[in-house]
Amino acid sequence: MKSPSASLALAAHLALLSSISFGGFPSVLPGVHSLVTANGWATDREFADFFAISQVVPGPNMILMMSFVGLKVGGLPGAIASALATFGPPCLMYYTSYRLWDRFRDRPWQQTVRRGLAPLTIGLVIAGGYVMARTADVGWRSAMVTAAAVGLMLGTRLSPLWILMSGGVLGGLGLLAPGE
Amino acid sequence: MTETVGARGFAQHATLRALFFGFLKVSLLGFGGGLVWARRIVVERQRWVDDREFAEILTLCQIMPGPNIVGITTCVGSRLRGPVGAVAAVAGFILIPWTIGLSLGSLYLRFGHLAVLQNILGGLSAAAAGLMIATGVRLLIPYRSRRTALLFAALAFTGMAFVKLPLLVVLLGLAPLSIAVAGVASARAS
Repeated sequence: MKSPSASLALAAHLALLSSISFGGFPSVLPGVHSLVTANGWATDREFADFFAISQVVPGPNMILMMSFVGLKVGGLPGAIASALATFGPPCLMYYTSYRLWDRFRDRPWQQTVRRGLAPLTIGLVIAGGYVMARTADVGWRSAMVTAAAVGLMLGTRLSPLWILMSGGVLGGLGLLAPGE
Repeated sequence: MTETVGARGFAQHATLRALFFGFLKVSLLGFGGGLVWARRIVVERQRWVDDREFAEILTLCQIMPGPNIVGITTCVGSRLRGPVGAVAAVAGFILIPWTIGLSLGSLYLRFGHLAVLQNILGGLSAAAAGLMIATGVRLLIPYRSRRTALLFAALAFTGMAFVKLPLLVVLLGLAPLSIAVAGVASARAS
């Protein structure tokens, strides 16, 4: 089912969805899911697989996930179209809004807005880590790995790469499987 | 004071090449959360912006639609070298990693159901979650003396992690309050 018109339709929808993905692309994932399954472009199972893979491979994960859908629908051209539709429109918006934001940088109102918003953003980042830990957790051993990673990252100048790899090795040896 | 030092003191001059490869690295290493690497490379390694400005850029990117890390890439590139810098940074972030990711992903779609692979991924994500939490804690350090800032960070965390509200609801609900409190604080200070 590799037709150029399906690729174009997918890209057009993705461009629209990415332009309204306030709060990050995952916020429109449910929309993408219904679009893709309603058109028969991918099954539920395939959609879940695309998500899992995009989380696992390095690189821009949401862009990759949409590219897997595009690949399925229209081969490599479909994948490229989907990627462009996912990051193109937001990039332009980011650029424009940053320029505007920067122009008024020294105004007192903007400093106040910044000082008010930054703590919220940071709280959300920590929450993101917490939620991820809960989904990754299969038991107390995984929680220990997460806690150790926090400690090592804050307390040492060790590269995060070593911390990640240690987690991967412990998992690969089967030491993190839920016991008891 | 040379012209490469910006009005805000911290800005460094960056070559387009450095931007391309800096964000290539952020993208390739960004397993489970590019934010960890974005902060590490942009703030700690290259010292392109400081923690405070990084948090500001992140805030802007969270409000705007789109993938947040792509937003950080666009803003930092633009901050250092204007439109060309933004293009160089985004190209570095996407071109090579996208090609690698799409190839690896196609392979994984075929062979990904092996148990060992699943276990490794489980361990990796547990560690990745810890790195994400630590990055947030680091970003909070410049605000440690402002008790209201810590309070609002805690509220945002709770709303998202425990009450499980949608991100936009948390932001829109808390932003007016947090901004108002910051406004009162700065009015009192001046």
